[in-house]
Amino acid sequence: MESEPNNTASGSGNPKEEATLKAPSKDPKTKDDKKDEDLSEEDLALKQQLELYVERAQDADLGLQKFALESMRQEIRTSTSSMTSVPKPLKFLRPHYGTLKSYYETMADSDLKKLLADILSVLALTMSAEGDRESLKYRLLGSEGDIGSWGHEYVRNLAGEIAQEYSKRVNEEATVDDLIELVEQIVAFHMKHNAEPEAVDLLMEVEYLDLLVKHVDKTNYKRTCLYLTSSARYLPGPDDVSVLDIAYTIYSKFEEFPSALQIALYLDNMQHVKQVFTSCPDLLRKKQFCYILARQGISFELDEEMCADDEDKEALQEIINNTKLSEGYLTLARDIEVMEPKSPEDIYKAHLLDGRASAGASVDSARQNLAATFVNAFVNAGFGQDKLMTVTSETSGGGSLGNWLFKNKEHGKASATASLGMIDLWDVDTGLAQLDKYFHSNDNHVTAGALLGVGIVNCGIKNDCDPALALLADYLDKEDSSIRIGAITGLGLAYAGTQNEQIRDKLTPILGDPKAPLDVIAFTSIALGLVYVGSCNEEVAQAIIFALMDRSESDLGEPLTRLLPLGLGLLYLGKQHSVEATAEVSKTFNEKIRKYCDMTLLSCAYAGTGNVLKVQHFLGQCAQHLEKGETFQGPAVLGIAMVAMAEELGLDMAIRSLEHLLQYGEQNIRKAVPLALGLLCISNPKVHVMDTLSRLSHDADTEVAMAAVISLGLIGAGTNNARIAGMLRNLSSYYYKEASLLFCVRIAQGFVHMGKGLLTLAPYHSERFLLSPTALAGLVVLLHACLDMKAIILGKYHYVLYFVVLAMQPRMLLTVDENLKPLAVPVRVGQAVDVVGQAGRPKTITGFQTHSTPVLLAAGDRAELATEKYIPLSPILEGFVILKENPDFREEA
Amino acid sequence: MPTVSVKWQKELYPAVEIDTTQSPYVFKCQLYDLTGVPPERQKIMVKGGILKDDSDWSKLGLKEGQKLMMVGTADVIAKAPEKGPVFMEDLPEEEQVVAVGHSAGLFNLGNTCYMNSTMQCLHSVPELKSALTEYPQSGRSNDLDQSSHLLTVATRDLFNELDKNVKPVAPMQFWMVLRKKYPQFGQLHNGSFMQQDAEECWTQILYTLSQALRSPSTSANLDTVKELFGIDLVSRVHCAESGEESMETETVYSLKCHISHEVNHLHEGLKHGLKSELEKASPSLGRSAVYLKDSRINGLPKYLTIQFVRFFWKRESNQKAKILRKVDYPLELDIFDLCSDDLRKNLEAPRQMLRDEDGRKAGLKLKQKNTSSVDSDVKMSDAEGPSTGSGESSKATLGEAVASDKNVQLTGVYDLVAVLTHKGRSADSGHYVAWVKQENGKWIQFDDDNPIPQREEDITKLSGGGDWHMAYICMYKARTIPM
Repeated sequence: MESEPNNTASGSGNPKEEATLKAPSKDPKTKDDKKDEDLSEEDLALKQQLELYVERAQDADLGLQKFALESMRQEIRTSTSSMTSVPKPLKFLRPHYGTLKSYYETMADSDLKKLLADILSVLALTMSAEGDRESLKYRLLGSEGDIGSWGHEYVRNLAGEIAQEYSKRVNEEATVDDLIELVEQIVAFHMKHNAEPEAVDLLMEVEYLDLLVKHVDKTNYKRTCLYLTSSARYLPGPDDVSVLDIAYTIYSKFEEFPSALQIALYLDNMQHVKQVFTSCPDLLRKKQFCYILARQGISFELDEEMCADDEDKEALQEIINNTKLSEGYLTLARDIEVMEPKSPEDIYKAHLLDGRASAGASVDSARQNLAATFVNAFVNAGFGQDKLMTVTSETSGGGSLGNWLFKNKEHGKASATASLGMIDLWDVDTGLAQLDKYFHSNDNHVTAGALLGVGIVNCGIKNDCDPALALLADYLDKEDSSIRIGAITGLGLAYAGTQNEQIRDKLTPILGDPKAPLDVIAFTSIALGLVYVGSCNEEVAQAIIFALMDRSESDLGEPLTRLLPLGLGLLYLGKQHSVEATAEVSKTFNEKIRKYCDMTLLSCAYAGTGNVLKVQHFLGQCAQHLEKGETFQGPAVLGIAMVAMAEELGLDMAIRSLEHLLQYGEQNIRKAVPLALGLLCISNPKVHVMDTLSRLSHDADTEVAMAAVISLGLIGAGTNNARIAGMLRNLSSYYYKEASLLFCVRIAQGFVHMGKGLLTLAPYHSERFLLSPTALAGLVVLLHACLDMKAIILGKYHYVLYFVVLAMQPRMLLTVDENLKPLAVPVRVGQAVDVVGQAGRPKTITGFQTHSTPVLLAAGDRAELATEKYIPLSPILEGFVILKENPDFREEA
Repeated sequence: MPTVSVKWQKELYPAVEIDTTQSPYVFKCQLYDLTGVPPERQKIMVKGGILKDDSDWSKLGLKEGQKLMMVGTADVIAKAPEKGPVFMEDLPEEEQVVAVGHSAGLFNLGNTCYMNSTMQCLHSVPELKSALTEYPQSGRSNDLDQSSHLLTVATRDLFNELDKNVKPVAPMQFWMVLRKKYPQFGQLHNGSFMQQDAEECWTQILYTLSQALRSPSTSANLDTVKELFGIDLVSRVHCAESGEESMETETVYSLKCHISHEVNHLHEGLKHGLKSELEKASPSLGRSAVYLKDSRINGLPKYLTIQFVRFFWKRESNQKAKILRKVDYPLELDIFDLCSDDLRKNLEAPRQMLRDEDGRKAGLKLKQKNTSSVDSDVKMSDAEGPSTGSGESSKATLGEAVASDKNVQLTGVYDLVAVLTHKGRSADSGHYVAWVKQENGKWIQFDDDNPIPQREEDITKLSGGGDWHMAYICMYKARTIPM
């Protein structure tokens, strides 16, 4: 028996030198003797008393025995409630632990024996050797009573031993019923004493979370669920799903429906979503649910069961269909006073540059005009007016500006026409009216652009009349491949995530068409991937697989072919194991594309899961030194970002790992790293990532530099970040002679000022809990296209830049009243604080400022109402939030 | 007959009756009345499909009160302009130059930066370029030697090359011819060509060109180079000892800016440079005596070349050492006070006009004030005029004749157009770079094959006083005023 802890504990009442004197002493006997001398009188009395109890407990007289044990218990209980050092009774009983233990063995079964077991169980807390789990052992032998009375420390220790015992027993396939009984007691105790995380942890260890539902009450369910949802991120599947299921059940039980809905959406469980609708009787709250669904960007049809009244149902469906998004966005824009259209020159701010900017060249450069087209589209996105495209339509013909559309060359005209869709984003009526006349153009590129524009304007908006399908369907079989691509891509954007069967029936035949050119096939695959994103649809998967197998050897070498596996991958976006069957099939592909396909599928399937094993797998792939011409490491690097973007911790680790890849990786890895960084910090300009990208933007390798420039735009997308804007401005003068790089710089500038700073590209929303699959899909397509800049974005397929529209969302909080009209209320906006596992009611934001809604929310910001007058119907103040008047509110005089 | 509501753009037409017995075309005409969109331009969306003119109403399954959506505008279809824009990417390379905004750089052929920078500076003189284009390929005049002729042709070709290209040019031919004409530039050191003094190169090339571009047809003194760069000086040579005084005239191609301890500014250096002492035999004293030579400018060139005398022969180290002293120079140089009295008188009228011009530019508000101040200026110079006015009238008329030829008047005000800088500690080492103002007003630093745009304010920072590039030769262009 080791006496060290004893020694130091007793030191509290004694001079220091004692401790130093005794430390070297080996003989416990002499030590004990000595110690007795040092004890105060009171302690000495206690010690003797306890020794007496121990002696009596072994007495033959049962009455005496009982009295002794009960007294002993009394002594221990009164002292264990606080536990900063080993309590005195325990300390004094230490030497007798062995005696009592051996005596216990000799006792006959009786209540007394149980009583002694109780005491032994407590004593084992400090006595038993590591791993013996004697505390648990005697607990199980003891009386089944109130364990809480022995104090927190005891319960905590017991919980730990249960976890170990449980795993051991499961391995031995022994019964665990007695343990569960104990667990139930412990959980009840923890839940009562604000120790929800401990309760949850224990239940997770013994895989019996269902028990939790019984024990949560109104006061602690929020903390419990918060802990459940945030710990779910770090759990391996399928545990995470079961944990979230419990959280869902608890939220439902307490009618915290918005949170329940969030979890249902996280699980992508439509059954749960329906249940939320059916179980909530309040129409206004249902409207709030619809806003939440609309933000997630999934298509959802209400039925009779969810809303009985037809009129109400229509109103709800309208919210889900996002038809009011444009209105809300413009309300925000008007409030912030940014309605005035901006020209590309306003963004370039060439006057701030010293004489370096190219001298107002007298000749138009097609590339620079194209860049201006994109910048104009991104900056004025959703505002319905700009200074290039919409102006000329009014002064058609002889304006001094000339018609901007025709200042673009060939495919540039397609992008220019499509930019009208971007400018009228979400405003289907106006957008279609603007685009209509271009359908009648005899220039194929213009028509193609108009088709694409229809898709863009309808992105994320559903309409009963399905105008996009009606307008685009006729063009799918046109001879000209640019028109076909326009129509196909348009459909993909407009119906992303809808799993619309009509679209599938129209698009799948194209994949099988032997006469269709490669680019048409590639974009069809992407469009199908978008429409069926995360659906694991077998039929579509088959169609794409066959299309891939049909490609000739030379086709497989084309950069565009790589979009085919990506389309396939999108079908399994975030669906983890479901991809395995398809991944097996992909192993039979031509070796030119096999590895690439494998990486793409895997990265898509585990996107947004934070699965550390997959990150390691991808890192392993990047460690290989490749034969020339292999390209699969690009998607592997992107895969790291896609998987790790799930939560902040993993994200930071991924950023560090990517730094290593930069140092040791080869060119094809290095050029993908900036893109991965861009995805990890999208619309969230972290300073150290900004610095890394800024450094890479001057890299000697052009492709790395281009990727870094684009990524600078991505991390600053929609933020108007002055530092990035300055960096890009300087880059524009640095690269003034290199047309390709300058083009990238311009695009990045367009990204940074996207929507004049009102938009975000982050696919994560609702306090970074939910991941919008369509948004992520759009970004992934763009990034894959950026893996081969020269062939795609700098070539004739620059309109893939418009895929970013899928991720574009206003980064706003717009509060509306019960009639869904905007309502200005004061809100506090500040940096979100992680309050998981914190006791009490901690502050959820820090460094806040008070604004009046509508307000902009930056990455990592959280808002809370600064007035008691209203009650928000959603706990998360993001996007559209309905406010209800607080009936208990009284105006202060 | 079902009634439907039709949505068109932002408007909603609530109760439109459909006569299901008629073809949809009739319905479209109904909508035409409402919206003004011609039927052939109407696209009516019915459940994910477009209503065709010959569709069967019964198959569409219209419901009472159903919402239809119509897309269509009466707008004119945007027509491509008849003449599409020309894109830079489509232009042949020589035309892209215009768009780039500056001409090409010159490759360094091994310590030839002195030659490259000289050529870049001279290349910025359009008059020289046009004179060279007129230079005949074969018909050289008799008094010109073969190598000078070849050098002139090579210069012309090189200038053409520079204008035509965006990418850097290798001046091989020119380099060969230059070495042939002036073998000193072909000096080898350790097997490679030696760095040379840019000023020497500049002078030699200009000399050759002045020989070659002497127009044979007209009178002998019409010499293009002289007209462009020649500065007429009139000097009073005075001997303090004997009191002898004589006048001399000469033509130089550049003014020297002497750098001494007192010189901080170009103007002071120029004044120094115009005064010199020389020792020559005095006829009255019968021995050599010290004469003071005090020169003034009597005829202005279109391009004023100024050389900073930064190098001097340091005997102990046996090399051309460099004076690093900072000498400021302005972007706009007025050399009125260096002119002779005759020239001043001739310059007064154009200068007055120039001031008026500036005043007008400054804005209407200031006009009143300006005219009054200008008036007093005139009076002052008027009063000054007669007291100092004396000298050879023939010279003055000559200067006037040259200027009036082109109906423009020189004003004595010059704008900086090119700077040739040197970086390093001695003339035969270091690096020469040309900084040239382009026609569009932008400055370009021609660092051999690499043209880099620069800010105007950085150009004046090349004034020395450190180890940065410092001005060695400055070229100013005359500001003229049409008469």
